[in-house]
Amino acid sequence: MSETAHTGATGATGRAGTGAGAVVLRGVATVAVIALVWEGVVVAAGIKPYYLPRLSVILSAIAALPQAYLAGFVRTLSETLLGYAAGALVGVMNGVLFYRSRWLRETVFPLFVISQTIPVIAFGAVVVLWFGNTILAKALIAFYLTFFPVTVNTLTGLEAVDKRQVDLLRSFGATRKQLLFQLQLPSALPQIFVALRLACTLSLLGAIAGEWFGDTTGLGVLLLQAMYNEQFVALWAAILMAGLLGTSFYGVVAWAEHKTVFWRSEL
Amino acid sequence: MRRALAGLLSVFVLWEAAARGLDLPTYVLPSVTRIVQAIVDQRALLLKAAGMTVMEAVVGFGIGSLAGLLLAIVLTMLPAVRRSVLPVATALNSVPVVAYAPLILLWFGMGPESKIVMVALAVGFTVFLHALSGLDRVDPRAVDLMRSFGADRAAILWRLRLPAAIPLTAAGMRVSTVRAMIVAIVTEMLGATGGLGWTIFQAVLQIDFVQVWAAIFVASAISLLFFGTVNLLEKRYVFWR
Repeated sequence: MSETAHTGATGATGRAGTGAGAVVLRGVATVAVIALVWEGVVVAAGIKPYYLPRLSVILSAIAALPQAYLAGFVRTLSETLLGYAAGALVGVMNGVLFYRSRWLRETVFPLFVISQTIPVIAFGAVVVLWFGNTILAKALIAFYLTFFPVTVNTLTGLEAVDKRQVDLLRSFGATRKQLLFQLQLPSALPQIFVALRLACTLSLLGAIAGEWFGDTTGLGVLLLQAMYNEQFVALWAAILMAGLLGTSFYGVVAWAEHKTVFWRSEL
Repeated sequence: MRRALAGLLSVFVLWEAAARGLDLPTYVLPSVTRIVQAIVDQRALLLKAAGMTVMEAVVGFGIGSLAGLLLAIVLTMLPAVRRSVLPVATALNSVPVVAYAPLILLWFGMGPESKIVMVALAVGFTVFLHALSGLDRVDPRAVDLMRSFGADRAAILWRLRLPAAIPLTAAGMRVSTVRAMIVAIVTEMLGATGGLGWTIFQAVLQIDFVQVWAAIFVASAISLLFFGTVNLLEKRYVFWR
């Protein structure tokens, strides 16, 4: 019976340790445990490198060529961040625009929805054809993947604002700008952050896949080269770097959410 | 719906006007009529490619959704396992799914199997995370009430948690439809024997821009259809939302 009582609580335990130190400590502990289990299982079960190389082998492969992996990491990171930042900004502005204008919401918004069912990566080929193998082309793909969820969630968040609060502020003579920045956007923040977290992975996906259309640096390129040469250790090294990038990016956004939206942190 | 169609139509008209009026070269933007013409001309080839991609996306989607839901149920029943599995799942999930594509291709070969596995992975994670938070989203008082009437864990799961989890799981599946198509196409681009992604990649290599756009059009239409179908099913069967 006490076990069952736990089920409902486990979802909350992730948020229970509020101190940043405790969160970091738990993260480090988790990583250490996963690393130990990985190394131990591969050695103990005698798994072939074809399926899963030992973690230590992968790490030493990265350590042997630090510049190549660092360059790829930095390149992919800048593509992702550029597209993500622009996408987040445009997404929030779009959301406000759609909220303000009913006409836009009814005519342009459905087009946005349709545009998101386009398999972006197919479009990626065209973007790379247009802009060449520049950092801009990948950032644009990342941007395209980011701005839509942010737009939708900004709109939902703004629409969920309590009408009575709006009326109250208005009765005190608040301007539209004040309403937006003092009440509506802060109230929508939790929703916006949900989209921002989702967009982390999406923008990284866009950047990596964008590199496949013939770039020379980046994590996507490292992945591709390792695949063509059937180098499993190098492949895992690139996957690990992509994971590191994805996790830290997500972690930073989640941390920012924790700091900004301290009053509500569910989901 | 009608407004969306009108909007789409005006986009096409604007596109056509821009491509013809500004006399844009095909590598910048071919006109809509030319793209449609290309689709009609190569319908047999595109149909075959689309059939392959759809098969991969749908099969992968089915496997992924089922596996994601089952895993979520099992973990909800076994809280002890859940505590150790969940961090690993979250860590795996933060690696962008495309990063696994080369590995899966090497393991499962160039055929459709590797694409199905990739789609199942991508869909599975999304559905799993949605289903898990859905299974948790029950009123603890309702659980206590059922337990006080002597309901065991299976009964609580079947009568309370599952119905509560279905709306969120369905939402996860709806989100996953587009992702299923994207992942199938991306994996095909890396290496395949056929499919829309493969067609697009070949066309890029041959610098055949009209062909690229034709394949994009077909892929988008299918995506939209897939999304619409799942959306319709969700509205129809998850009525208690």
